[in-house]
Order: sequence, then C-alpha cells, then structure tokens
Amino acid sequence: MRPPSPSIPEKDFLFAALKQGLRLDGREFLETRPVTLTFGPELGWVECSLGKTRVLAQVDAKMVKPPPERPFEGFITIHSELSPMASSEFELGRPSEEEVTITRMLDKVIRRSDVVDKESLCILSGQRVWHLRLNVHCLSDSGNLLDCVCLAGIVALKHFRRPDVEVVGEEVTVHPPTFRAPIPLSLHHNPYCFTFAFFSDTSLNPVLDPNLLEQRLNGGLMSIALNAQRELCVVQKSGGVPLEPGDILKIVNVAALKAKDLDAFVESRLQEDWEGRKIEIR
Amino acid sequence: MSPNVTLSFDSLSRVDASARFGFGSCPQYLTSISGPIEVRLAAEQPSQATIEVHVRPLTNVPGTESKTVAVILKEAIQMEVIVEANPRTLIQFVVQALVPTPKVTDELVAAMINCCTLSLLNAGSIPMRGVICAVSVARVSSVNGEESMYKIQPVEEHPSRIQATGCFAFLFSDSYSSNTYSSSCVWTSWRSLHPGSLKAVEESELARARDAAQKPAREVWERMKSLVEEGERVKRKETWIKDASHSTEAKKMDVGEEDVNMEI
Repeated sequence: MRPPSPSIPEKDFLFAALKQGLRLDGREFLETRPVTLTFGPELGWVECSLGKTRVLAQVDAKMVKPPPERPFEGFITIHSELSPMASSEFELGRPSEEEVTITRMLDKVIRRSDVVDKESLCILSGQRVWHLRLNVHCLSDSGNLLDCVCLAGIVALKHFRRPDVEVVGEEVTVHPPTFRAPIPLSLHHNPYCFTFAFFSDTSLNPVLDPNLLEQRLNGGLMSIALNAQRELCVVQKSGGVPLEPGDILKIVNVAALKAKDLDAFVESRLQEDWEGRKIEIR
Repeated sequence: MSPNVTLSFDSLSRVDASARFGFGSCPQYLTSISGPIEVRLAAEQPSQATIEVHVRPLTNVPGTESKTVAVILKEAIQMEVIVEANPRTLIQFVVQALVPTPKVTDELVAAMINCCTLSLLNAGSIPMRGVICAVSVARVSSVNGEESMYKIQPVEEHPSRIQATGCFAFLFSDSYSSNTYSSSCVWTSWRSLHPGSLKAVEESELARARDAAQKPAREVWERMKSLVEEGERVKRKETWIKDASHSTEAKKMDVGEEDVNMEI
C-alpha cells in the first residue's frame, strides 16, 4: 500500500518554499482561504467551505423535559462524526486524534463559552425547554477542518429560527411557521476559530489556515477562538514546538483582526440570504 | 408523468467522485465514492472487489434504519458494478442525507440508489455493466374508493388512500442491443400496506406496477445522460475556445461532427 502523504520530496519542497516566504497555494502567510457560505432551503442549514475544505451544519430544535438539576435552562447537544466522505483515511467508529480534537474544540467553543443563551430556551420551567441539536458533517477535509467546523456551527446557529411559543398559565402552544414567524436564537456572542500551524524549523513564521500538506507537516498547531469584540474564548495548543510569549501575543492580534473581518462577512451573507427569503408578511 | 429531479455532480476534494440527487427542487442526498482503494485485510475478497456503503442521516447517529438501507444499496450496486474486475480492493460509498429524514420512505430509497449511480458515473474508475435508475410507485385508490391508479412519488397523497407501495430499480444496459438501451427490473420493494386476503399483492398487480415505473425510470436515466453530456460539452467548448485563439478561422463544431471526429 502506498504510504500516506506527505512524501519526502513534498516535505522538502514545502519547507524550501516556506523558507523563501512562499506558500504552495500562493497565499500570504497570514491569509485564509476564501470562505463561501451556502444556505439551504430550510433555516439552520448551512454548507461552509474554506477553500476545498467543506462542512455541512444543521440545527434543529425539539421540546423536552429538562433535567431536574437545571429546570430553567434549555440545552444544546453537538454531534459531529467524521465519515469516510471527508477522507478515506477516516474510519467510522474509530475516532482519530484529529476527530477528538474537533469534538472537544466544538464543545469548548460553542457550549462552554456560552454562545447560546440557555435561559431563553426555557418555555415552562421544570417541564418544557428547547433542546437544540447541532449536527455537523464534514464533507471534505483539505486541511483545517477545525476552523471550518466551528464557523459552520456558529453560522448555523445564527441562521436558525425556532418556532414561536406562547405560554398561558400551564398551557404551551407552539405556533407553526405558517402562522407566526419563527424567532431567532438569542446568542451572547459569536466566536470564530483560527488555527495557526508552526513548523519544527523555528525560523519559519507560523501560517494561518493551513491546507492539507501544511497541516500534515506541522510542528505544532495553535487554535484561537475569539469573537469580534476581542474576547478570547479558547486558546488551544496541544504539544508541538514551544513558543515565546511575544509570538503568542502577535498571533492573538492577527486573529483579532481576522475575526472582525470574518464577522462582517458572515453578517453580510446572512443579511443577503434573509432578504431572499419570505419569512414574514407584514 | 415525468418525475421532477434535481441532479448535479459535486467536487469533493478527498474522494474520487461525488454527486447530488433529489426528487423535487432541492437535492436530498450527497453521495461520495472512493474506489478502487486499499481494503482492510478482514474485508478483502480474493476474487472480487468489496463494496462498502455507509448511510448517514442528517440528524442523529446512523441507526438500524440506516443499516437496512445500506444493505439494500449494496445489493443494488453489486448488480451494476463489475466487481470481478478489481479483486482485493475496496469501493467505498458514503451516502449523506441533506434533508431531515425521520422515516426512510420508498422515494428516499429511490433517490439514494440514483445518487449512488450518479456518483459512479462521475467516478469513471469503476467498471459498470449498466446504469441503475429507480423510482417509487404507489397504488392509490381514487376518491370514491373504486378505481386505483399507479402514481409516481406520491408524497402528497393522503396516507390512508395508499394501498400498496414500493420502489423499483431498473438496470439500463446496452448489452442486448446497440440501438436501444433495454432495461430490466433488478430490485423492488413492492409491498401491500394492508396485509390480508382482500388487499394482498398479486403477481399481475406487481407486473402492472413495474410497467408503470419503467417510463419514469427511463426519464431519470435520460436526465443522468444529459448531465454527463453537458459536462462533456463544456469541456470540449473550453478546448475549442483555446484552439480558436490560435487559429485564424474559428470552426464551429456541433455535436454530430464531434461524434464523428471522436476517436475511440
């Protein structure tokens, strides 16, 4: 069987190019690939692509009885499993290290950083709350699945609208979307994740949004999740080349600028999509 | 009654081919195929390729229903792929649902079969003996309850009026004659929804349902063919534009000429 990429000539070529300040796909060191967001016919369905890496995310909601220890809050579960569609190296039922990283980061970025206002998901305390389910499917892994997955998750949550609910006393009425316009989720903030790859040769600067080859040959990855208001949610660096504190601060500043641009882009895309739909008639 | 289908080739980068298919105006399934590739030793077969199908619903973990459908798809694919051509290899399909599918209906099974076929056509690396297209048919009793007709894709029908339903898969192949592509039914899941002596399935009824499904399946097949032709025509146009910039007079080639000049 052919050993997995990268081969030695690929490795040498990449490092030689990086030494000269060139990335193989022509980008700058701190430039991400173009982001495209495609929204589906239903609300809460989005296909996000970062260059050739593609991820599909979908949100749906159902009403359930809350657990007794938290009767005033709704909850959100995230399901993401890599299938052989993302790459034939992934096997079902055997999570690779990358898959575990993705699951944990998604959990940290979306659940633990309190993106969704859980109290607003409460309908009737102790009896009925919204249970949001975020399903993430990786369609194609061309490097930096993590950023793409986090972006798709956040955009799906922003795009989703839940049915309007009316509570009178103990009675709960759920209005179908044809009668009352569905309402958006109440989100505290919008974190975006940026991954930087370092190389074992410390003279090479870190690259933002590594593609497949760069990710395979990295000497360390650092992921930063932050929102457009410069609030850090997650900083993850698991192993790899040690970094100076000055380098880390530089990277955080770069990520902060990128987060602002990305936020503006996402908002404009959501606005465009919203205008194309007929959700309410006034 | 021609079924309204949406079909397109996709371009996922880490697999050998991918395609989308759906009955209606938006795609219901995205299938990716990789093959022939390396196979695990446990799944290796010495004289034929191993076919692996994974069905993944949009919401939820894949459960028993997904497994059932995966078995059905594997059977259908075995009939169209020549597995003896690549022994000791793996052909891996992943069928991803793009719409929520709380219950796998016959229409969805038909869509999945068509989607797998479409991605096989996009791959080109897997030898096939034919093209399998599927449609779902239901026998619906009319309003006054006397007559019953066969309808394709009866999603809007009132469930109580549906007496029997099923999906038919036809293999289109030119093995028999070169002029016309003949089709034969290779798989069906026709069943009566009211088991009992009065409304059980009869052989003649099965034949009628199959005949009703044949024409729409052929139309689905025509759509797939035209999708492949479109892709080919765009490629040829691009090369024509490149050549035209070099030559002084632009020769416009239409499809007939291209076929004549095409070398095999």
